[in-house]
Amino acid sequence: MAAIEVRGLERRYSGGVLAVAGIDLEVSEGEIYAFLGPNGAGKTTTVRMLVTLLLPTGGTALVAGHDVVREAPSVRRSIGVALQEAALDPLMTGRELMLLQATLHGLSSEEGRRKGDALLDRVGLTQAANRRVGTYSGGMRRRLDLATALVHDPSVLFLDEPTTGLDPVSRIAIWDEVRRLNGEGTTVFLTTQYLEEADQLADRVGIIDDGKMAAEGTPTQLKAQVGNPHLEVVIAEGGSERAEAILVRFGDPIPARDGTLMVGLRRGAADVAPIVRALDEAGCAVEALELVQPTLDDVFVEKTGRHLEGAEEHQPPAGETAPA
Amino acid sequence: MTSGVAFDFRSTWALMRRAINEIARVPAAVIPAVLAPTIFMCGLAAVFGNLTQLPGFTTDEYLTFILPVGFLQGAAFTGAATGVNLARDIELGWFDRLLASPAPRGVLLAGTVLSASLRVLMPITLLMIVGLALGVSFPGVDGLVIAVLLASCFAAVAACYGVILALKFKTQAAAPLMQAGVFMAVLFTTAYAPQALLTGWLQDVARLNPVTQILEAVRQGFVGEVTWADTWPGLLALAGLGVLMIGFALRGLRRAGN
Amino acid sequence: MSAGAVAPPLGARIVAETRVVAALGRRSVRQAFRRPQFLAPIIIFPSLFLAVNTGGAGRAVDLPQFPPVNGFLDFQLAGAMLQSTMLAGVSAAIALALDIQIGFVDRLVAAPIARWSFVLGRLIATGVLGLIAGLWFLAVGLVFGAEIVAGVPGALVVLVLVGLNAIAWGTIGAAIALNSGSPSVAQGIFPIVFVILFLSSAFFPENLLLEPAKTIAEWNPMSLIADGLRDPIISELSLGPVLEGLGGIAIVAAIGAVLSARGLNKKLRSA
Repeated sequence: MAAIEVRGLERRYSGGVLAVAGIDLEVSEGEIYAFLGPNGAGKTTTVRMLVTLLLPTGGTALVAGHDVVREAPSVRRSIGVALQEAALDPLMTGRELMLLQATLHGLSSEEGRRKGDALLDRVGLTQAANRRVGTYSGGMRRRLDLATALVHDPSVLFLDEPTTGLDPVSRIAIWDEVRRLNGEGTTVFLTTQYLEEADQLADRVGIIDDGKMAAEGTPTQLKAQVGNPHLEVVIAEGGSERAEAILVRFGDPIPARDGTLMVGLRRGAADVAPIVRALDEAGCAVEALELVQPTLDDVFVEKTGRHLEGAEEHQPPAGETAPA
Repeated sequence: MTSGVAFDFRSTWALMRRAINEIARVPAAVIPAVLAPTIFMCGLAAVFGNLTQLPGFTTDEYLTFILPVGFLQGAAFTGAATGVNLARDIELGWFDRLLASPAPRGVLLAGTVLSASLRVLMPITLLMIVGLALGVSFPGVDGLVIAVLLASCFAAVAACYGVILALKFKTQAAAPLMQAGVFMAVLFTTAYAPQALLTGWLQDVARLNPVTQILEAVRQGFVGEVTWADTWPGLLALAGLGVLMIGFALRGLRRAGN
Repeated sequence: MSAGAVAPPLGARIVAETRVVAALGRRSVRQAFRRPQFLAPIIIFPSLFLAVNTGGAGRAVDLPQFPPVNGFLDFQLAGAMLQSTMLAGVSAAIALALDIQIGFVDRLVAAPIARWSFVLGRLIATGVLGLIAGLWFLAVGLVFGAEIVAGVPGALVVLVLVGLNAIAWGTIGAAIALNSGSPSVAQGIFPIVFVILFLSSAFFPENLLLEPAKTIAEWNPMSLIADGLRDPIISELSLGPVLEGLGGIAIVAAIGAVLSARGLNKKLRSA
């Protein structure tokens, strides 16, 4: 049985705005599925429909085998939810919030306390458990949010942009925790605008843009669709034209920043050595050379004509030498 | 140039303008403050109006009697609101930026507090419009000028009080303390009735409360003639309170960096 | 792998739902005590107002048309309690609106609890706060010389009415929060509470109010509630005023319930 099954899901707001314009997707049990897209693409709206916070205006969605519209209470019993705005009350302590969540899911006080303490320990918040959430850092809040989502052992976990705004260390901590949960059998549906996150974590990625699915598949499959890696070369004064003439023998030129030559490699990485030899024989002094594999951003550009936001953060600085 | 009198004036003016701009930005927060004194005036007059039947009451028109209270209440609320805004600025970290600027502490205080003196004109204007429409007789130009000036200065004093609390507690949770303080200052006076008709304990408190003198000075044009004898106690009380509050506020500001 | 994917039997669900309501109620009460600016309107301001009214207008008992009372304070206690519980309702509105704003309500909606549980939890908390306020003002009154003519039964009647009134105004607060979703709108309602009270017999006998307040007070359900609260304090216990008080409370609660239900439907599943 699929953990999540979505057919033609649609959300139209009053005023006619179509935030989600008919998407189909399927997530298998035990999978990590990343929903990737820029801000405003419809990720959060989709998640809110799947966790029964929002009524779809069209299509169907089944979560853990239950219809989100007609069997909402059953859906709620099976899912754990950690949304974008960590919905935490700043006046409550971490432990109080955990106990409340346990009560909301019907756990007895004793069970709630036991599991709550175990989960707080798991996310490293035991020390801070009796402090008010208002004193927590952003990373701590996300960890608490994640922990409370797990108190009733959900089979499907929904994470809406779990690491947005976090520092790199906290981000990696969350990734580790997600992998661990998945290792224990929890299906994870996460939305993100960071392609690195989708690349690193997901078994499968769904790319959404403007309310519609642009592409779907494993990260490797998607990147292979786009084609070959490209080469970025910076040549010393004077040799650029000769270098350009050499490079176009190996593939199509790509428009690039001043001073950098970029070319798509028809035969992939196998072309690197011949290019280096050819440049050397022609007397072009190479200042920098990098082999850039296609990224999910390239996939996004190919499918939608635009860059993913957030991808700019991950551009390697010009001049970095890559292993040849 | 980051020193000198001209800089001080410009900085003060800039801070004042920012405080006044807040009104345009968040009108919903301000409307209650502008309406409240008028609501109170009309409400108290409707509820306790028949107190004038008591022998010894100095006037027949209760509305006229308590309109001046509205002036001071408007000043008090405006001052308290200044304190609450400062507390919020401190919580948001914006105030640190001001503290780190070359503006002298006196300028920071003046800019924050003088905006209250101007903002109080809003509730006062509404009070006069509604009061006159409901039959309060015009207090004469001298009476009105004195009332407005005193209320305006009282607003600054109340704002200093708010500033003191904001600097001490550094949180918006101190708002009730600010509001309760000014509430008591204005109402534990001859607000509801002349001194002789107040109940025992309030009679004593009102006699000792300097704001009673300010209230009587504001009230004089409305219930009778403006005389120097009725004015100078109010001015003295205002000056005394002012010196006290400004002193503590400046001290609080100087310690704020620590 | 999921612990509770199957719906538990009805009996267990009722027990679980009660625990949820109790937990949410406890949280709301805790919140009120952890945010002083929420507690102040319930205790501090009505107390100050009580002091000022009693001190400033106390001689009103000398007026010929004033009903027979032990003292002006005895008369005023009802108004203070009324004010306190109404402001408690508005404070609850602000708290609920904040919960909506920070997304806390989402946490509750996504959980397998009954839809109205979180409003009910908050209502019970408001009722508890109302009871605390009632106890406070009765105590203050006794300390400063008031007398509860109807004795202990009278005091109990007063407390029940105060608690119920607090719950009724809690539903009004919930209606405001659910329909507006904004704490500043809820905050702007404070002056309106005073207007409603001024236009009733909360602070002064109805027959001594000036027009048009007098006529409005005759129609204002708050006058019924004020008289009902006041009667056991200034005279022997009688059924009439108490029933009228309950009637006034029922009217307020009905308005609040209808508006809350509409707001709740709007809020759930639509944003």
